[in-house]
Amino acid sequence: MPQMPSQAQQVLDALLASPALEAYLVVGAIMFAIGAWGALVRRNAVVIFMCVELMINGVNLTLVAFADFLPNAGGLGASYAVLVIAIAAAEIAVGLAIVLAVFRSRRTVNVDEVTSMRG
Amino acid sequence: MTIAFGFLAGMVLVSALGVVISRNVVHSALFMSGSFLGVAGFFVMLNAPALAAFQVLIYVGAVTVVILFGIMFTQRPQVRRYRSIINRQFWAGLCVAVGVGVFLSYVVAVEDWGSTAPGNGPREVAKIGRQLLGVAPGSDIFALLFQVVSVLLLVAIVAAIVVSRRKIGTGVDRGVEE
Repeated sequence: MPQMPSQAQQVLDALLASPALEAYLVVGAIMFAIGAWGALVRRNAVVIFMCVELMINGVNLTLVAFADFLPNAGGLGASYAVLVIAIAAAEIAVGLAIVLAVFRSRRTVNVDEVTSMRG
Repeated sequence: MTIAFGFLAGMVLVSALGVVISRNVVHSALFMSGSFLGVAGFFVMLNAPALAAFQVLIYVGAVTVVILFGIMFTQRPQVRRYRSIINRQFWAGLCVAVGVGVFLSYVVAVEDWGSTAPGNGPREVAKIGRQLLGVAPGSDIFALLFQVVSVLLLVAIVAAIVVSRRKIGTGVDRGVEE
């Protein structure tokens, strides 16, 4: 291998190195925050469900990152992620059923127009 | 690895932003599946290839299709103005979300995680299967959790059918009178 300048070698090493645990955790946290923003500001109930799925995926990413990086975790985070995926699937099924029922009786899925339970 | 990480992180975060600020609901659903694909790539990088397969099958396949069905039943796909898709808490919600994101990122960045090294994940499918059934050492609780989740899924399926079933003689589908 030809001798490279040390700076280029450093850049190459940095590009080939595996990212740290904190990088995955920050990506998961930002994904959670974007999902929370969407769930707060959007009107459409279906889009709110999508944003909740985004939040769940951010948490899943965090769990799997912990399972891979922490030696004492025993890799159990991946199994928790499987359970979270199952619960999210159940949530999306029930949620969309409720959205369909609301649409059938109100002709709208905008959450700020469905106010019959407002105190 | 850093190149792949940067690509996947950009894909996940840009797609997640696209879900929130896209004016077309169908585009939101497609952005969502792109974001899930990026998370599946992260799972591969994190030594969980079986979980990446689950992610692609369940999220990119099933959940996206179910949500597209929901969109198909409840609204006609059209581009709407921002005023009609976003409620009045736009800036307040943005402040809250930025606060949550910065706070979480700060906490996970300053926390001392001890000695961390990649490669501890359950790379073999057999290992993750034993953990899910609670027979691997240290995973006893999963023998309970697995069954609880199974019952929960069954209850959710029954509930979805009961809630969304049309009563005889009530309700009108769009364009189709009963």
